[in-house]
Amino acid sequence: MPVQVFSFYIFDRHSHNTGLSGGGGAYRDSRSAATRAKDDAKLIFGTVFSLRNMVRKLGGDDDAFISYRTAQYKLHYYETPSSLRFAMLTEPGALSMRNVLHQIYINLWVEYVVKNPLSPVEHKNGDGVRNEMFEMGLDKFVRGLM
Amino acid sequence: MRLELEEEKTEKLKAVIALLIINKAGGLIYNRTFGEGLNQLNSNDYLVLAGTFHGVHAITARLNPLREHQAAHYYAQQQQYQHSASGSLGGASSSGGGGGGQGGPLPSRPEPPSGLEVMETENFRLQCFNTQTGTKFLLFTDTMQANVDVAMRKVYELYADYVMKNPFYQLEMPVRCDMFDRKLNSYIREINNSR
Repeated sequence: MPVQVFSFYIFDRHSHNTGLSGGGGAYRDSRSAATRAKDDAKLIFGTVFSLRNMVRKLGGDDDAFISYRTAQYKLHYYETPSSLRFAMLTEPGALSMRNVLHQIYINLWVEYVVKNPLSPVEHKNGDGVRNEMFEMGLDKFVRGLM
Repeated sequence: MRLELEEEKTEKLKAVIALLIINKAGGLIYNRTFGEGLNQLNSNDYLVLAGTFHGVHAITARLNPLREHQAAHYYAQQQQYQHSASGSLGGASSSGGGGGGQGGPLPSRPEPPSGLEVMETENFRLQCFNTQTGTKFLLFTDTMQANVDVAMRKVYELYADYVMKNPFYQLEMPVRCDMFDRKLNSYIREINNSR
């Protein structure tokens, strides 16, 4: 079943936005697309962070935040034990994308970024991972969903 | 022995776990738990939770990935409408508008962004209903509960009937209405026992 994916984010434990793949809506704004994307990434991190803490408080430490939905979009969330956070925005009717995010972590992140000896341990300044293999693989995988 | 204990535990898990009502300023005005399944927090934590949720809700409404697309569409429609309207009136005063009928169809305004409606976690589900006036109803249920919309509508109905129609209730203040408590309790019990 094809699913419309709007955007995808990876945050490390310092909240730096490490990966981003946009798609979907046409952009038209006085701010540049890059600034807009950066602002959105910050808002998404804040949202996800607050909701995750809220869920932990209410549901206990073993509880995990999975997704939320508004009338316009749905945000799917997956967190690895090392506090790497994956967030994906899709159309509101999409089914659970948890396994998709898990696949991205296992098949792309671990394979191309973690196993790359030249890749830094931490991606500072929000420059992204800048890893061609990872970005190509991610792009192909996400476009395969749509 | 262990199995029995677990069975007892699942029996205790109620479908509708809790109801929170948050006023338009983000203050908690009603807080009630009906069953187990969530950690018990102290009243201060609940207040913080309500405020946090209020903020997050506002942010989720702003994060609309299609807003530019929708805005551009609306703008184009409006331009077209104004163009055809001024054409048929021969450039007459624009202040007469609102009548409709001339020109093309009125441009349809894009739906206002709604903000968080449903949140899912491994242990529970949170349904949020935002009224026209900005009051938020949060219903915590277990992950299997169906027809939460219906329950939410009924809760809102009870609120309208027994809180808003109570002449002693002050707007935006904590809800202390016995009738509301009683009716709500019996309605939720009905849902939880029907499973």
